[in-house]
Amino acid sequence: MTAPTVAAPRLLPWLLRVHRPALYVWTGLLVLLGGTLLWLWGPLTDAAAEAWRQYNACATGGVCRYDQDAILRYKDVYLYASFAVLAVPFLVAAWAGGALTGRELEHGTAQLAWSQGISPARWLTAKLAVPAALVGAGTGLLVLLHHLTWSAGRSRVDNTKSWFSTETFYANGPLVVALALAGLAAGALAGLLLRRSLAALGAAAVAVAALWTALRFALPHLWPTATGVSGLDGGPGYPGLLVDQGLVTATGAHIDNPGCGSTATAECRELFDRLDAVGYYTDYHPASHYWPLQLTATGAVLAAAALMTLIAFRLLRRRTADKGAAR
Amino acid sequence: MVAYRIDRRSGVATYVQIVQQTKQALRLGLLMPGDKLPTAREVVEATAINPNTVLKAYRELEREGLVEARRGLGTFVRKSLGTAPADSPLRTELDAWAARAREAGLDRDDVAALFTAVLEKHFQGDPS
Amino acid sequence: MTDTALEAAALGKRFRRRWALRDCTFRLPAGRVCAVVGPNGAGKSTLLALAAGLLAPEDGTVTVLGTDPASARARVGYVAQDKPLYPQLTVAETLRTGADLNPGRWDAAAAERIAAGGDLDPKARVRSLSGGQRTRVALALALAKRPELLLLDEPMADLDPLARHELMGVLMVQAAQHGTTIVMSSHVVAELEGSCDHLLLIGDGRVRLAGEIDDLLAAHTRVSGPAQGSLGDHTVVESRTTGRQLTALIRPTGPLSDDWRASMPTLEELVLAHLRNPDAPALTPTQTPSPAESGSGAASGSASGSESESEETRA
Repeated sequence: MTAPTVAAPRLLPWLLRVHRPALYVWTGLLVLLGGTLLWLWGPLTDAAAEAWRQYNACATGGVCRYDQDAILRYKDVYLYASFAVLAVPFLVAAWAGGALTGRELEHGTAQLAWSQGISPARWLTAKLAVPAALVGAGTGLLVLLHHLTWSAGRSRVDNTKSWFSTETFYANGPLVVALALAGLAAGALAGLLLRRSLAALGAAAVAVAALWTALRFALPHLWPTATGVSGLDGGPGYPGLLVDQGLVTATGAHIDNPGCGSTATAECRELFDRLDAVGYYTDYHPASHYWPLQLTATGAVLAAAALMTLIAFRLLRRRTADKGAAR
Repeated sequence: MVAYRIDRRSGVATYVQIVQQTKQALRLGLLMPGDKLPTAREVVEATAINPNTVLKAYRELEREGLVEARRGLGTFVRKSLGTAPADSPLRTELDAWAARAREAGLDRDDVAALFTAVLEKHFQGDPS
Repeated sequence: MTDTALEAAALGKRFRRRWALRDCTFRLPAGRVCAVVGPNGAGKSTLLALAAGLLAPEDGTVTVLGTDPASARARVGYVAQDKPLYPQLTVAETLRTGADLNPGRWDAAAAERIAAGGDLDPKARVRSLSGGQRTRVALALALAKRPELLLLDEPMADLDPLARHELMGVLMVQAAQHGTTIVMSSHVVAELEGSCDHLLLIGDGRVRLAGEIDDLLAAHTRVSGPAQGSLGDHTVVESRTTGRQLTALIRPTGPLSDDWRASMPTLEELVLAHLRNPDAPALTPTQTPSPAESGSGAASGSASGSESESEETRA
């Protein structure tokens, strides 16, 4: 019998062949969404900026003629593009659960691959690494375009979203790339666990939604807040992402805002006096916290993705007695 | 060259069927000394039987001195089998016996059963 | 190279609470064509998946080509019962995938030969193939990696008789030319008779019979005689009384008395008798009367087996 020649299996051609439809869809999505963002970045931003210039010029009475459509189109397209970028993690999770592992285990093609000379661990490594590279690069590109588009509008288009508005915050930084990778890991794990493509597709999408929800609650607390104090007369004000707000007493203590309203009314003034309140305090994240928040949250999501990947490998090893995965 | 026909329902072991069919071909002159038997690969491709069965049958034929294996060349017939000629005294006797059986009122099945029983009695345990 | 292709020791696999396979012990010498027979759900597929390294055992060990299933992966071919293939690929792409995944072992000519036997259009998508054509492609994938051990789960199940005969011929040629050990399961004994020389009968997750088919047949005798007759010390697998006659399948422990008419059972009779009588004692290698026989090569071992068989039938 001939001794087995040790040659590495050519995994990339196999993987691309098997997941060709996904590759086409992903490329199509990148082209479409990337194109939209470029369109937004260039012509739409210019048109909106021009409309705002017209609007601001004629603010003092009389009939104002400005291109309102350009402003509305800019706003709509920006919002749709942001949501499309935010949908990427869900799409990746659904695909990973449905097609990457779930369907393969459901139809036995995973076992086919394992009996064609690639160990389960190697199979999963390839199945995670190549999509991770493509998803990471693609989502990274979208995020970069989104950020550039947003920056371009910030100084010229008056209705550009603030940095801390939810969709802009997420779609503007690496956090959404991390979420897409977590979606990949969640999908792969769901597929391995459930061994049914449809169930895994749903479970993976739900997992990403849960992760995102947890993140939305946790995000403000991932970095120490800044605190601003303002007088009672002016009302509370803050230039950034609000975390907490209340009253400051004469002793400096922070107490709950009873929600009375303006000091203009006698009742409220009385109430504030009784509480010994001297002003409002606001815990918030200023714009300078954008990167610390993005990067800490990205790190946390990547850790979750790594954990899910680890569990997926453990599960596969336990089920198949694969020595390769043990190491 | 012979082509083997394997009957799985006959109750006769497969290797015995190959031995029998080879001998039959030798008796009928379909195989002559120097002829090559089909290779195990050819037999199993056509019949889907186990290769070891073919080898076992050939070994049996070799043991009886009917064929010889030449390394790397194949299995060849060494000698032919003496046939019982149509006019042999044995055949004449059997012919007469069958006629008497018919006269006695036995039908074909009765005769076949009798013959098989006697055959069993005298040849039981013989490979073929 | 080891002379044992597949060996199980107290092998067990449980799915949730149910044992699919339990206390499974046997040894399959290299070069054999082994039938794994048993009713549906008996544990045949589980055994093959364990041997292919697709499942991890709960208990015991399985040794494949002298090592563990994971290490033997490259040298083992496996075709699952439902012949999984990527439906979106064409036949040619499927075979190219085999070449990609088995560099250094892949026999492209063999793959194309086996696939071409079925008038398969290489450009046809796998999802458009019939059951028989799928089987052909799956077998081509498994055979072209030139395995030393081929594990086939119900390989002939959805083939018409013609394709079945032809593909069995392809498998036998593989065994004849390369000495490939073939293990194939079926719940239809007749399908495998003649092609297999070794039997593993599994019933209810346990091994009931294991060994060379000739040896197993030789170890059993079908007897008939008067209903009041005694079968003495012989191990009775199955006995049935009809009127004044008793027929039984036994494992003789010595010469039979003259009251009994003895004959050799067919493989199917042997299998059915054991499946109908789950309490009949199993006959596995550790209990085989003369295990030395099976070590002396396929043909000679079986030959001595058939000699002892004729002695027993004469007794």
